[in-house]
Amino acid sequence: MSHTAVIITVAYVIAVVIGSTISFVIFNSTRRPLDEDRSGTWSRRETTWLVIMVLALFALLMGTIFYVPYGESAGPNAQFVHVTGVQFAWAIDAPQPLVTGRPVEFIARSRDVAHGFGVYNPDDKLIFQAQVAPEHDQKIVHTFTQPGLYTVRCLEFCGAGHDKMVSSFTVRKA
Amino acid sequence: MDDRSIAIARKLTISYITASTAILAASGLLGVILRWSQAVPQARVGDNFWYALMTAHGLGAFVGWAGFAVMGLAFWVLAGVGFPVHGFGLAMARLSWWLMVLGVLGVIVTTIFMGFGASWVFLYPLPFYASGNWGAWATGLFSFSVLLAGLAIVTWCFAILHTVTNREALHSVSESIGKRLGLSFGWGFLMPRTFATNPKPVPYPVIPLAVIGFDMIIATLPLAGLLIWQILQSMGLVGTANVLLAKNILWWFGHPVVYLLLFPAVAVYYWLIPRYAGRDLVAGNVIAIAWTVAVIANVLVWAHHLYLDYPSGTVQAQINTAMQPITFALVLPSALSLYSLAFTIYRSRFRWTPASTALFFGLVGWLLAGLSGVVNATIAFDVQVHNTLWVVGHFHHMAMLNIGLLIFGAVYALLPELSGKALYSEKLGWMHVWTTFVAGMIVFGIWLVQGLDGAPRRWAVLPSQFDTLTRISLVFVFLLAGAQALFFWNVLQTLRGKGGVATFDERGIPEPSKKSSKEWSVHAAEGALVLVVLLLAAAFAVGGYLVGREHGKGGGGAVTTTQTSTGGGGVTGKAEAGKAVFASAGCGGCHTLAAAGASGNVGPNFDTVKPAAALVLARVTNGKGAMPSFKGRLTAQQIADVAAYVSQSAGK
Repeated sequence: MSHTAVIITVAYVIAVVIGSTISFVIFNSTRRPLDEDRSGTWSRRETTWLVIMVLALFALLMGTIFYVPYGESAGPNAQFVHVTGVQFAWAIDAPQPLVTGRPVEFIARSRDVAHGFGVYNPDDKLIFQAQVAPEHDQKIVHTFTQPGLYTVRCLEFCGAGHDKMVSSFTVRKA
Repeated sequence: MDDRSIAIARKLTISYITASTAILAASGLLGVILRWSQAVPQARVGDNFWYALMTAHGLGAFVGWAGFAVMGLAFWVLAGVGFPVHGFGLAMARLSWWLMVLGVLGVIVTTIFMGFGASWVFLYPLPFYASGNWGAWATGLFSFSVLLAGLAIVTWCFAILHTVTNREALHSVSESIGKRLGLSFGWGFLMPRTFATNPKPVPYPVIPLAVIGFDMIIATLPLAGLLIWQILQSMGLVGTANVLLAKNILWWFGHPVVYLLLFPAVAVYYWLIPRYAGRDLVAGNVIAIAWTVAVIANVLVWAHHLYLDYPSGTVQAQINTAMQPITFALVLPSALSLYSLAFTIYRSRFRWTPASTALFFGLVGWLLAGLSGVVNATIAFDVQVHNTLWVVGHFHHMAMLNIGLLIFGAVYALLPELSGKALYSEKLGWMHVWTTFVAGMIVFGIWLVQGLDGAPRRWAVLPSQFDTLTRISLVFVFLLAGAQALFFWNVLQTLRGKGGVATFDERGIPEPSKKSSKEWSVHAAEGALVLVVLLLAAAFAVGGYLVGREHGKGGGGAVTTTQTSTGGGGVTGKAEAGKAVFASAGCGGCHTLAAAGASGNVGPNFDTVKPAAALVLARVTNGKGAMPSFKGRLTAQQIADVAAYVSQSAGK
């Protein structure tokens, strides 16, 4: 699993454990019903719950929004790769062999329908992806650290041969 | 509410529930075939047929079953809180039923019989790039069918808005329709001087219905425009539309349509959970704030489906970034509703029946779906899970374990009062509800795990490293499907009157059938649990056998792939046949060949290079540089044909 996938897994598992525990507590609480009416208090506390939720979501927003993949620059030392998606093949055109440690700028465009450029590392783990559509170039910047054979899979449904739209490229040690 | 209004609402709801349940049976079966085909090489269906089935399953289960069912339940809920459907609203509700049924039939015909397989999002311009699998007719008819379903949604919205602005039911003194709509949005709680000019506050279940009735009109109309464009384009009357704009329009509808399922479902929860808990909904005025946020945010989150589209020279990246906080805001109505419903149940004298257990599990499913949804909503995380099976796991949690269980719970709770007949068997109900929840958790949980591992979504045949989990999951898919058979049987027997006449307790909760009093009642839950565990054990055993069998073969499925000879060994190419291969394999996307009308400029220009057949054969078979290998994708004969065609027609 990639670094991001590990973060998602850990966070989701913790959230699910907490959620399941609360669900079970509520389920079990009906065994000892309360005849006194406390709904007034609980209703008022809903405002507190709203504040907690707003703060939690704001924290998550601030913690993640700076990691958007948009507008990244490959810098002057970049290696450029032209990627063309067609039903149902990838043409990956690198003028010289790609090496690790130097940013790679993929310039991707589709000839027909929308495709998804999903790159899997030599261990076959998904490391990044972006949509590739006709009419405009999509730029994706990535610096490879691991040499080897990378697999490209189409990650946007593009028709009957979608699952056959697989290609590969090699990254060498710098 | 007079008897006539109740009879009208009853008839409406029964007609919606009956039609949607039939659609569930059909589309659920398609879902089983899809996973079966992925898991078992011997059961594999043709690639385009798989995608056509996927298109039918998606639209059928999501809109035709879950959406259609909650749309019908809405009328009964509204009648229950004193809002009769009448006049214009009734005409719209009846029209909506017919439009939806015709739309779903059209989708079934165009996908299963005409091969339209562009998925339920029919991402423009894919409907017009069929690679020979369906024709312009199929695209036009499919677009028309979806347009009918879209119009069904719009007419339903009119029915709902007409009903929730009923002056008498609102106890409103205002003539202004805007003020009455504001009252239905819950603004009387927030601004009593302006809106609550009535003696009674609006019942909570009305609020989510008013919100979605308003939003879906805004969300659906642009899609209708796109669909009309597609119909015209399929007839050759207009040219190509802007691809990025089309995608934005699709999701402008595609996200709110999820809430066409959720918000009416929330109305049902607001109405039924208090009945089973024996106390009023625990809700502060603050819940009106959440729903006000929902009215606005719901139509402003579409681009979170385009997080990974940020092409140069467009403002898409900026729009996408703005969508993350707006999507987070849309968490609030769910968070507050779950709080209210949880405290309504907490330490109440809750009556546990198959109906209320399904509703409770539905709330758990809602929570789980919400948590995985927050991951999708976060751009930095979406990069990892976008278009992987994680997303499939997320929306099945939502559609099946939240909305689906709510529909089952509502049917068990309401069928006796709708039909006057007692539920045929509580025991079958228990088994159905528990098995659906447990098997569903496993099937959909496996998708989450596979997605985190990078398994691509919408692949007829998954990369082989995912086979083991897919095969294990198949066993639980069968269990899930089998449980639904119990549901259909139970409903059918109930409607045939096999459970006798319905009776209700002091809260309006249906009592178990007197006819089948020999059933377990006290130990029903425990009995069902034992059964589920036994079934799970059996399921694991079969799964283990399947996995073990594969390993016994020395790894990997025994899928036969076509071997291609590289030296032209014995296969003679036919240029006439090669022309079709050239077109269908997408060669023209990269290469220029005047004879084929191809003008690609990524790879070598055949008209200038004039390659020999042997060279084409070698390159197509093994690939080189940017040129991908087509070995395994094309047969030896096809490669020989295309080589003959290219060498003979280049430069002509």
